[in-house]
Amino acid sequence: MPARLTASELRTCFGDGAQTFAALLAGRSGIGPLRHGTPSALNVAHGYHIDDGLTRDFAASRWVAECASRAIVAAGLDPRRRRMVALVGTGLRELAAVEAYATGGTAVAAHRLHFGDAVGGAVPGLREVVTVSNACSAGGHVLALAEDLLMLGEADAVLVCGVDATTESMLAMIGRVVERPTDTVRPFDVDRQGVLLGDGAAAVVLVPDDDGRPALARVVATGLSCDAHHETAPSVSGIARAMRDALTRGDRHPAEVDLVVAHGTGTALNDPAECAAIREVLVAGGADPLVTAVKGATGHTSGAAALVNLDVGRRCLADGQVPPVVGLRSPLPEGAGLRFADTTIAHQPRLVQCDAFGFGGVNAVTLVEAP
Amino acid sequence: MTSAVPDAAAPSPAVRVAGWSLHLPGAGTLADDLADWSGVPVQRLAGALAGAVPAERAHETLGRKGLLYKEPATRLALCAVHRALGLAPGRVRPDGVDPETAVVVAGNLGNVATVAELARTIHAEGGRAVSPLAAPNASSNVLASTIALWFGFGGANLMLCSGATAGLDAVRTAALLLRAGRAGRVLVVGSEPADETAIGLHQAGCATSQLRAGAACLVLTRAAPSGRGPVLLTAARQATCRLGPGGFDPATRWGDCYGAAGVVNLALAAALLDAGGSGPIAVTCGDDTDGEREVWLTADPGDSAEAITPDTPRVVFVDGGSGAQR
Repeated sequence: MPARLTASELRTCFGDGAQTFAALLAGRSGIGPLRHGTPSALNVAHGYHIDDGLTRDFAASRWVAECASRAIVAAGLDPRRRRMVALVGTGLRELAAVEAYATGGTAVAAHRLHFGDAVGGAVPGLREVVTVSNACSAGGHVLALAEDLLMLGEADAVLVCGVDATTESMLAMIGRVVERPTDTVRPFDVDRQGVLLGDGAAAVVLVPDDDGRPALARVVATGLSCDAHHETAPSVSGIARAMRDALTRGDRHPAEVDLVVAHGTGTALNDPAECAAIREVLVAGGADPLVTAVKGATGHTSGAAALVNLDVGRRCLADGQVPPVVGLRSPLPEGAGLRFADTTIAHQPRLVQCDAFGFGGVNAVTLVEAP
Repeated sequence: MTSAVPDAAAPSPAVRVAGWSLHLPGAGTLADDLADWSGVPVQRLAGALAGAVPAERAHETLGRKGLLYKEPATRLALCAVHRALGLAPGRVRPDGVDPETAVVVAGNLGNVATVAELARTIHAEGGRAVSPLAAPNASSNVLASTIALWFGFGGANLMLCSGATAGLDAVRTAALLLRAGRAGRVLVVGSEPADETAIGLHQAGCATSQLRAGAACLVLTRAAPSGRGPVLLTAARQATCRLGPGGFDPATRWGDCYGAAGVVNLALAAALLDAGGSGPIAVTCGDDTDGEREVWLTADPGDSAEAITPDTPRVVFVDGGSGAQR
């Protein structure tokens, strides 16, 4: 059941959503030196960081609160006068505070690990704030729940947030699987080296489809699945199930999808699996979509990634321009037959598929169109 | 995920607790306590609270294979699911992926000991000293995804980390998945550990109760009229009793399962009804910081007129106050 997107606010290494999209269209990368932990110990030298001149302690809480405030203003809603709840998707919560505690810092109160205080404090009048920790597709999962709440009439509007900063434990895991530190993220490239983390926060407001106020886009449906296949490796059939679920729930035909804002992490396993699923579901169904991806420019923003993709998708719909896959030089063999955006392309999409897949095989695929 | 997307105008069926388990190691006295409090014979309650092996003996329920590097909260959760499904002891070998079964887990502290240990190792010896087998535990949703992998559940998979309300947030999210046609069955699991790091964080939150390791599981389905098992209500005119803060609260009587408490309390309500207690029973969880949540459970189909359907008062995610007009 569709819902309308009436606000969408980002914070990435480039700035807000407009600044992020402009940087993407210009083919820029936001990569810089790693600002968390010790690069030599982690075997990670780079990150795509937000530099707001403030401490990284509880930075995720600060960024998501700031995006939530902006989204509420942009949507023109007063949560005190509506049945409005917030759902926050995150991969790493504030686990950086647990790491600080474990290495000599003071104990952080358990409730500060989630974002109830941060978002509830930034947006007075919310009925509830519920934090969902669903790895790199958390933003897509909370988007799906928001659509369900609106479809079933259990809320008048939903504030959907996604956020992640970095943790040393996750950085170490990224550094652990590569020989030498990854220079940059190259989604769908034959010589891709692996993923790097990006700081990111996002907040969007969804209202029911019959709401008359001006909307940025129409969220057609979000499909969910879990691979139940492997602890860390993705599964083509699991990803394909999420894609088909979105099409089924939105009552759309695969041939209608003419732009994919891909998950595209630049890892050995994700990119071939995502290509295979796009071919299996969309291309085999008659589609010939343009494929773009943002993580070469923004890094992997994890809990925010799905909502970053959604914001890019809605801007492509509005602008008639699709940004290139920053970092892509020569497509991987498994991508043969797919049309990757290798430069900024004038293209007016009608139905955009936004992908988000997470650790543990948790997949969320969102379809979005012009309002 | 092949469930039909419901017509929003059509009334959706109620949500039934088709199975449940309590996996609270060392909670034998809780049965005596609840029997005293409720007047239900202890012989009928004791079975529900028996048989919960601690995490280090999880192999007695789950079999020996596959438990290496599984955190205590994950082991307890797997045990709770195993027992809620009524499986015989031993390793489960799913013969495929069931896309109709979703998993919603509530918990906050399951991976904090691993994350703390990883940070200490990185600082002392560098990231190369970290075991790649610990990698999955760096992600907070390891608990939910491990259940999916272990049992072959391919539906939506969610990990709720919303603090003290997580348990009933998970129950209500599961009801949402059922009613939205995203799943035909949802395994709701609450699980928390009680290691040193977890206790440190819990105490720093000014908890008035003692963190205790435990898990519980509920098997939720869309209720067929002829089905068995109690039914969830979003509102009840009068509850017979209350389990959780404000009533019989396992957190103060036995130990606090924090984010799992809502699932524990609801499973305890199911046990009480099964043992002959009368309903509807109010079930609560939460605290002063994270807020409170409440649902009701009844064994009597006659009460299900107020079961969770789009036409009933909206308690799910809504307080029903005067500001509720659209």
